[in-house]
Amino acid sequence: MTDPRPAKQPWNKSSKVASFKGGRGFADAILIVVSLLLSAVVFALLLSVLWSVISAGAGALSPQFIYQNNRYISTTTSLEYGGVGHAILGTLWLVLLATAAALPLGLAIAVYLTQSQSKLRNLVRSITQALAGLPSVVSGLFVLSIISFLGAQKSGIFGAMALFPLMLPTVARVAEEALRLVPTDLRLAALGLGAPNYRAFFQVILPAAKSGVITALLLGLARVVGETAPLILTIQANNGTNLNPFDGGVATLPTYIYGFISAGYASSITRAWGASLVLLVLVGILFITARLLTSDKKRKKSKGTK
Amino acid sequence: MTNSSVAAELRSEDVSVWFGERQVLKDVNLTFRANRVTALIGPSGCGKSTFLRTLNRMHELIPGAGLAGSILLDGKDIYDPSVNPVDVRMEIGMVFQKPNPFPTMSIRDNVLSGLKLSGMKADNKDELLETSLQRASMWNEVKDRLGEPATALSGGQQQRLCIARSLAMNPKVLLMDEPCSALDPGSTRRIEATIEELSESMTIVIVTHNMQQAQRVSHETAFFLADENTPGGVVEFGSTEQVFDQPIDPRTNDYVNGHFG
Repeated sequence: MTDPRPAKQPWNKSSKVASFKGGRGFADAILIVVSLLLSAVVFALLLSVLWSVISAGAGALSPQFIYQNNRYISTTTSLEYGGVGHAILGTLWLVLLATAAALPLGLAIAVYLTQSQSKLRNLVRSITQALAGLPSVVSGLFVLSIISFLGAQKSGIFGAMALFPLMLPTVARVAEEALRLVPTDLRLAALGLGAPNYRAFFQVILPAAKSGVITALLLGLARVVGETAPLILTIQANNGTNLNPFDGGVATLPTYIYGFISAGYASSITRAWGASLVLLVLVGILFITARLLTSDKKRKKSKGTK
Repeated sequence: MTNSSVAAELRSEDVSVWFGERQVLKDVNLTFRANRVTALIGPSGCGKSTFLRTLNRMHELIPGAGLAGSILLDGKDIYDPSVNPVDVRMEIGMVFQKPNPFPTMSIRDNVLSGLKLSGMKADNKDELLETSLQRASMWNEVKDRLGEPATALSGGQQQRLCIARSLAMNPKVLLMDEPCSALDPGSTRRIEATIEELSESMTIVIVTHNMQQAQRVSHETAFFLADENTPGGVVEFGSTEQVFDQPIDPRTNDYVNGHFG
């Protein structure tokens, strides 16, 4: 892609420095100081959260804490035994199930919003945005009502069902932005070569938006990976590993944290902090992956400008 | 070189175009003869690019676009209900104003993309690749870097790659919408030379704002004009020599001599 705009010239910088005179320069200076201060407040908040999780959770960490499950462990058992392995697996499993539904559907909504010329688009967009404001506990309650309507037992699949409507709007919105960034020229070029719409989409538009769609997926994952309330309402706890989402209880990191912090013993609280740290690292990995993928896209773009 | 396709005659009969309620073209009757290059000239907003897009049914992709009249490709109406627009676009290729190679594909894959996109099979892809790039006169420049991304090429090379991409489909007609307006004089000259060679095997219709370019590359010229608040139409159509040197309509004379537009 060629960007016809000229590259930024160095004189832009010097002219900014020169404008630091008179009243306007003073207002600029105040704005800069205020924004720096507020950024510092946000940064300090983030650091203190990180610090409290790391300092309180580090004591629980050990290899066995990562891979062992909690069977035969009570709230007062010494930290040398048991771990969150079952909760990590449970979280990944539920999030994977929610993704299996939210990714295709979110992508389909994004495709509809960007490719269709229907007048219903604005309605669909408004509904998707409204869904983004759905409180997670309400989503959990809704699925709980389905469970009691069906007379079913709480199990992993219902947890995934409660996560799905929370994940969907994030995936749809970010994927829509990614698809919108693909120049119309490319679609026209593909259609001009005799491509049916679906081939133009899968072979040209989707590959061009690939990194953006992956970002949509990761942000969707990050949105639900730490959700607690809907899971408390829809799944049973389990101290062992259970990979069957249709039968029996399943542990997840958020519900594990909730359970052990509520128990109130020194060792159980430390376990909860340890699980928080593991969850934080999991989210961190997601965000760093998303960031790496988007910066990769930018690099490709700048290479393409000449 | 394999030129399995044969150039075709393209003819528009009473073509009128609307965007919503607004009529932008009225009763355009033009015949693009086989193996000829026809230039469409006229001031901005006169509907010549719109008209070009009616010739391979790209026009109908714009929301609210309407059309009356018929476009005949070797006597067959491409707007007949039994005709699939996808097939039309395979026979009538298009090159756009801004080079638009597929950024996720290599140079090689860009040239061959039409096959994959239209679901066609080629007997010998490497031969088709080489032939298409040669016809777009860029084989020697890129033959050692076919695996590189298309975005690594210069603007002029990208546009020739887009031409090669269209040629790989062996079109009977090639439509070009101001193909050189984003390019430097050197690249423009090379594309003009390519157009001349291509006219041996296909019919070419080119929209251009550049009077010299129209005179250099085209055999025939159609002058489009839209007066204020009236739909655009063809004021004059004839051999390029006649339209530029002895225009019949005084408005054509004013335009080609730079008095307006």
